[in-house]
Amino acid sequence: MTVAELVDGPLWTVALTVFVAGVAWRLLVLIATGWKRDLSHPRSGSLGGAIRGVVGRFLPSQGMAGRLRLHLVAGYLFHLGLFALLFFAAPHVDFYRDRLFGFDWTPLPHWAFILAAEAAFLGLLMLWLNRVLNPVTRLISESGDHAASVLTFLVMLTGCLALARSHETLRLLHFFVVELFMIYFPFSRLMHSFTFLLSRAAQGAHYGRRGVRV
Amino acid sequence: MNAYGLLWGLLLALLSTAAQAQNDTPPQSGIWIPNPGADLWKAVRQRGQPEPSTTQVQGLDSNQLINVAGEKFRDWRRERFIRYAAYLLAGVPVVILLFHMLHGAMKLEPSGRKLLRFDLYDRVAHWLLATVFLFLAFTGLLLLFGRFVIVPWLGLDAFSPIASASKEGHNLFGPLFLVALLWVFLRFVARNLPAWRDIVWLLKGGGAFGGKHPSAGFFNGGEKLWFWSLAVFGLLLSLSGLLLDFPSYAPSRELLVLALVVHGAAAVILVAFSFGHIYMGTAGVEGTLEGMRDGTVDANWARQHHDQWYAEMVREGRLEALSEAQENRAETTTGQLEEGRT
Ligand code: HEM
Repeated sequence: MTVAELVDGPLWTVALTVFVAGVAWRLLVLIATGWKRDLSHPRSGSLGGAIRGVVGRFLPSQGMAGRLRLHLVAGYLFHLGLFALLFFAAPHVDFYRDRLFGFDWTPLPHWAFILAAEAAFLGLLMLWLNRVLNPVTRLISESGDHAASVLTFLVMLTGCLALARSHETLRLLHFFVVELFMIYFPFSRLMHSFTFLLSRAAQGAHYGRRGVRV
Repeated sequence: MNAYGLLWGLLLALLSTAAQAQNDTPPQSGIWIPNPGADLWKAVRQRGQPEPSTTQVQGLDSNQLINVAGEKFRDWRRERFIRYAAYLLAGVPVVILLFHMLHGAMKLEPSGRKLLRFDLYDRVAHWLLATVFLFLAFTGLLLLFGRFVIVPWLGLDAFSPIASASKEGHNLFGPLFLVALLWVFLRFVARNLPAWRDIVWLLKGGGAFGGKHPSAGFFNGGEKLWFWSLAVFGLLLSLSGLLLDFPSYAPSRELLVLALVVHGAAAVILVAFSFGHIYMGTAGVEGTLEGMRDGTVDANWARQHHDQWYAEMVREGRLEALSEAQENRAETTTGQLEEGRT
């Protein structure tokens, strides 16, 4: 079996299985574990609190906005850029159709794809630089945080290097890094792509019950 | 066969028929044998042909089969530009190495007292620019020298994906350089306004060759020279790069050739300059890197290299403020002070 066959075949199956099963398992465990029953009399509804928690956290709380300016701008640049790239870049839409879902949707025009890539790179670089240059975030960062950033960067970089879609080697390199990323995903900080909803909702519901406005 | 291939084929077939038709006329004298290709190539190069050929292909000069000026430029690029660029980029590190061997690093005797030099925004902006610049330099140099270095070493088949990857990466990161450059410019320009003492600093070579250390403010003459070179050449680099990213918007081919010349020259100058900057920021001057990494520098470093800035900080009581805060809680001082500033 050639390297190309391995990357395109069994390794992809392994990566997809680990990713889907791993993410599902971790989410199930989190949900099944639940949390301690709050016996106090609720001051207001927890559903409203949960919704406020999920939506409200898209903006920093007052008083923190100034301090988090860099984080906020870079965070949005990166996450929106990456979201657009991941789901709406023409090569990805082709891939989802051919290898995963059997159907496709309208991709971004090329210029918007490139703009999204620029935003994602700028955001990720700024976020990681902030992480290592801010003494506080540097202190609380662990190797897992750096590994997640570096792996995400490598996925994006190899994708960008293969942009001409003219060399099989470059496509395979990108695909291989994506597979590593998918295998690492469920065991890492990257899980926050899913868990942020759970944690925001749980925290929001808790605050809601207690009548705390954040 | 693509549209260009078809066009080429058709034009060549037409031209060769035309050339043959001319050659069919019998020679006037018995010894003159015309070169059957001469007229063809004359036509292809459009020498002495006032009317340009027509084509349906949309694009700059797409009705021209061979661009003579372009060929001249390519020869100049290969024969001269790449050679002199190689001399410069190989020569500068050698000079730096020799200097370091003879002179050694500028030593620092730490006082243990710190001054805040660069806040978080300064540092993120600097390292963003540095990262993007180094990536562009790496991919750009691969494209410039690849044919002469990578091809003989790894072969054409290996160079082909390397070149494609470098080109795509270079094109995509180019605009980020402009963004980072503007950010650095806005944050640092006020501290880089020229002063008379900077000229003196430069004339004395920054005190590297003996004598008293020349006086300097927040940035010294050498740093200001780097800053302004970066601003001017960086802008030229970005603007020419953007034109090369979107060649179909260029008004003429001459402008594209000019953009290539400007882009190459500005890039090589800045890369060569950056070697010196990186040396001074790391091995050359002890204690300098700390400022861009943690934000703080040792008070003795400031006194040694930026005496006027040091005096100003002492006058404003900044040295004491940071030292006291440090005594209380060493790790978080930079963060706390930065929060106050940003
Ligand atoms: C990767 C290697 C690099 C290192 C180790 C480095 C280090 C440093 C350090 C320590 C300073 C502060 C000097 C001081 O305190 O006076 C500085 C300043 C600066 N650096 Fe870098 N740097 C690097 C790359 C770059 C690159 C590639 C660029 C630009 C393309 C750049 C642009 C600047 C600018 C504009 C300043 C401010 C100087 C001024 O405004 O006068 N640096 N660098």
